[in-house]
Order: sequence, then C-alpha cells, then structure tokens
Amino acid sequence: MENAIVMKNVCKDFKVLNRHEGLKGSIRDLFSRDYKTISAVKDVSLEIKRGEIIGYLGPNGAGKSTTIKMMTGVLEPSSGEIMVNGVVPYKERTKNSENIGVVFGQRSQLWWSLPLIESFRLLRDIYMVPQKEYEDMIELYRSLVDIEPILHKPVRQMSLGQRTLSDILAAFLHNPAIVFLDEPTIGLDVSMKDKIRSLISGLNSEKNTTVILTTHDMGDVDALCKRIVIIDKGSKIYDNDIEHLKSYFGNYRTLKMRLSDDNWVEEVIDESKQDIMKIIMERQKEQKIKDLKLEEISTEEVIKKIYEGASV
Amino acid sequence: MNGKRLIALTRAGIMESLQFRLGTFVTLFANLIYLVLVYFLWKAIYDSSGTDVVNGMTFTDTMIYLILATALFNFLEMFVVWDMSRSIQSGKIILDLLKPMSFRKYTFWSYSGSHVVQFVMTFIPTFIVVMIVTHGAIHMGLNLVFFLVSTVLALIVNFSMEMIVATICLYTESTWGINIVKETIVLLLSGASIPLAFFPEAARKIVDLLPFRAVYDIPLTILLQKNGSTELSGLLPMFGLQLAWCLILYVAGTLFWNFSVRKITVNGG
Repeated sequence: MENAIVMKNVCKDFKVLNRHEGLKGSIRDLFSRDYKTISAVKDVSLEIKRGEIIGYLGPNGAGKSTTIKMMTGVLEPSSGEIMVNGVVPYKERTKNSENIGVVFGQRSQLWWSLPLIESFRLLRDIYMVPQKEYEDMIELYRSLVDIEPILHKPVRQMSLGQRTLSDILAAFLHNPAIVFLDEPTIGLDVSMKDKIRSLISGLNSEKNTTVILTTHDMGDVDALCKRIVIIDKGSKIYDNDIEHLKSYFGNYRTLKMRLSDDNWVEEVIDESKQDIMKIIMERQKEQKIKDLKLEEISTEEVIKKIYEGASV
Repeated sequence: MNGKRLIALTRAGIMESLQFRLGTFVTLFANLIYLVLVYFLWKAIYDSSGTDVVNGMTFTDTMIYLILATALFNFLEMFVVWDMSRSIQSGKIILDLLKPMSFRKYTFWSYSGSHVVQFVMTFIPTFIVVMIVTHGAIHMGLNLVFFLVSTVLALIVNFSMEMIVATICLYTESTWGINIVKETIVLLLSGASIPLAFFPEAARKIVDLLPFRAVYDIPLTILLQKNGSTELSGLLPMFGLQLAWCLILYVAGTLFWNFSVRKITVNGG
C-alpha cells in the first residue's frame, strides 16, 4: 500500500441558518427556514504517501480542520472520495480510528486526574496493543525524550508543554499508520517547540508514520515538512516541496539598503517581475546607498504573501 | 469484543472517582439534610392521616424505601447529558468519537467505574445504617442477589435514557432545560421521591409500564420484598419489564445515536 491517504475531488458543504440581527431578528430566526450553503472544502484532491510529513497550511477558516475531520471520519464529505489506509473513513470510523492517531491543539485525550502512565495503560488496552509492542514503544519514547519526570504526574498538574508532549506520545502509542497533529506547538515556548519538533521527526523516522501537520508556525514547517499543501477558502492552492514554494509564487528575495541617513530600508522583490538592478539604480538616483544586502525570503514571508494575495 | 478494554475503562473510572473523595463526603452530607426533610414531611403526612398504614406502607416502610431510594439515586445518577454537552461545546467529543470502539460502549464503560465507587461509598454505608437503625428490617437472603441483578438492569435502562436525552442535545445544542425536564420526570415516575404505592390507581397502572419504574422502584421492591417479590411469580414480571425496557431503549438509543452522529458538526474549524 503506497498511499496512506487518497482524496479525490472532495467537497464539503455546510448548511447554516441565515441569522438576523437584533432581538427582532433573533425571534424571526426561531421560525426561519432560510438556510444558506457554505462550501468549506471545494474540490480538493490529494495523495499522501506513507511516511511523509505533510505541512497542511492555510489561513484561519480555510477549511483545514474540516478536511482533517473528513480524513478521520468524523465528517462525511458532501461529494468526492476519501480513502485512508484503504478504508473509507466515515463508513468505517471505528476501523479507521485503529490506524490513526490525533492531537487537536488545546484539547487533550488524556485522563485528566490520572498520572500519564495510567492513560498510556488505558490506551494500550483500548487499542489492544500487545504488551511487547507497548513496552518497545515506551522504550522508544525514553530514547527520544525525557519522559521520566512526567510519567507519574497527573495530567492536570502538567504545564501546557508537558501536556502537549504527552498528548503526542499518546497519539503515537498504538503505532498508527497516520497521525494528525492540529497545531501541536500552539502556545509553547521556544525550547518546548524544539523538543516537540525533534520528537515528531524522531517518531516519524523510527516508525515510518505518516504525519499530517497543520500549524501557523513556519518554524514547524521548516523543521519538519518536505512537502506543503496550502488551502484557502476551501480550495487547494499549493501542493509541492518546500523548496519550490519560494519560487512558485514568484522569485522572492529581500533587498536591504542602507541609505545616506543610515536607516535600513527593506523591500521584498519578485525577481520574475522586477529587476533588482533597476530598483537599486532608481534608488541611487534619489539617495546615496551606503550598503546593500540581498537575502533569501523566509518561509513565513512567502506564506504571508500567499495568504494575503489569495484573500484579495 | 475484547473484555480487557472494558475492564481497563472501569478501572480508570474507579481511580478517577477516588481522586474526588471530598465530593463523596459532600454528597453524604447533602443526603443527610435531604433525609431530615423527608423524615419530617412524611411524619406530618402519617400524623395527619390518622392511621399507621397508608397505602399498605407503614411510616418505617416509607422511610426505608425513600432512604434507600436516595442512596440508589446517588449511585445510579449519571452525568452523561452534562458531560456530553460540555464536550460538544468544547469540541472534545471528536477525541471520544475517534476511539476504536463504539461511542456508546465507550461512554458506558467510562462511567462504570464511578458507579462501582458510588455503590461502595454511598449505597453500602446507607444500607448498613438502615440495617442498624431498624434492627434488621431488611431481609438478608436471596433478595440481595436479585437486587443486585435488578440494579445492573436499572443501570442499563438509566444509561439508555440518559443517552437518548444526550442525543437530543446534539440537535438543540442547549442542555439545561431538557435535562431538568428529564430529571424531574424520572424522579417523580420512578419512585425515587414518592413511593409508587402512593400514586392513584389509574396513574399507577400507567406508571407500572413505563421504563422509569425499572430504575428505582423495581430494585427497591425486590430488596424490601414487597409486592410478592418473594415469589417467582412476582419476580418474573419485574425482571421481564426491566429486560424489555433494556432491549427497547438500547435498540432505540443505538438507532437514534447512529442516525444523529452522522449529522454531527463539531465546533471549530
């Protein structure tokens, strides 16, 4: 089985009540049959291979979570086909969930008042993981992160970082073929982010787990993903390597100039449309340029450009 | 079905409930206050009736019945509706839906542990106190075994009713009103607040057939050996009613749930 996930022309529409404003409007809404259809996902096709780490990006409300919910089988697509590990997720949600793991940002699947190790044991029994495999997994965890200090700590006493770490470990515990990570590093400090990134990449390479990562932190993307899928307003607008990303939407580079008043001026330049030399020449006519720097644009800036451009 | 995962869920539930010891003591204290109120209320009713036996029950009978009903209520009480509406609002329900077993089964076994704890921490102490105070008014024999069987059936009936109400809340997205209505109906018609013997004859006939009775009245009747539950001919119809409602509510609840879950839209996104 080569592909972990295959999506073909998947659409998802929601029916929402047209709400009216004010008290009068609210009362009218009680009897209203005035629905409008919102397309959250439009005609998305996607193939994801085993062992890939995919950065699934898009501005807020682009349809990322909706897509993930369809992949996990919680939502049924309005049209199109989805296969996850050879299973149609919404038809066989229970069977599908044996082969996937999920971490949803701020929500925890751990047992709040119990020590982490009890949650692990419980998940082991729920997913029917053989004792040997369970022990190997815990051993692997030990080699990747320092879990001793949190293993016997009740989840409610953990810091956000520790809890997120625990949730990720819990999602990988039954060695699923695919793990969905929905903003796993949200609200974490720099060193914790780093720990979590190396944990994810470690687990991915050890177990060949497919990872679908949604995030707004380009640091996550740079550290983990080779391939990026960007979705906006429900449509897929980019699907390729991270290297291509920088050139795909134009050859962006940052030109920094120190002018006669000693201030640095920055300009983001699309080399496919603008000529750098020309810009420098024009500047020079007005002011003296003391110093020049030409920098590669960061992923973050490219993504920002894409989001802004796409939502115009 | 692998039994190990069910036991694991029960075990976790027991451990979780034991984390909240204080809650149990508060419950016991609140019960005490409630029972003092019940005592004086029914004492007034008996005093004004002029006879010692009302509707075939003496004052002591009524008190034992109501005390045990309260204890049973604490033990059987479930918060499925509350918990579910909270997890729908927070979106956490998606994590429970993504467990590799049916959601209903998962939910039921997640609660089982706390029932075990409640049974040991509130029902058994209450039972012992009643035994001491009444100098052994409750017969200790086979009725205890029948009572336990009947209680398990009551638990299932109660869970199914809770789940059906919780499923309705998927549509309404507001829970409070519906849950209050449900609780009031159950408390009134199940015998938890007024012994069913006190109902008018016509109402009694209807209430006897409803599922609510299967939750509190039947287990208590069996325990206290009323209404011919010492005889097999008296026991069988009661178990029959419980079993029938178990099946009906189970099937109806499952169908309703499976139909509804397809319509679920989890918040956020």
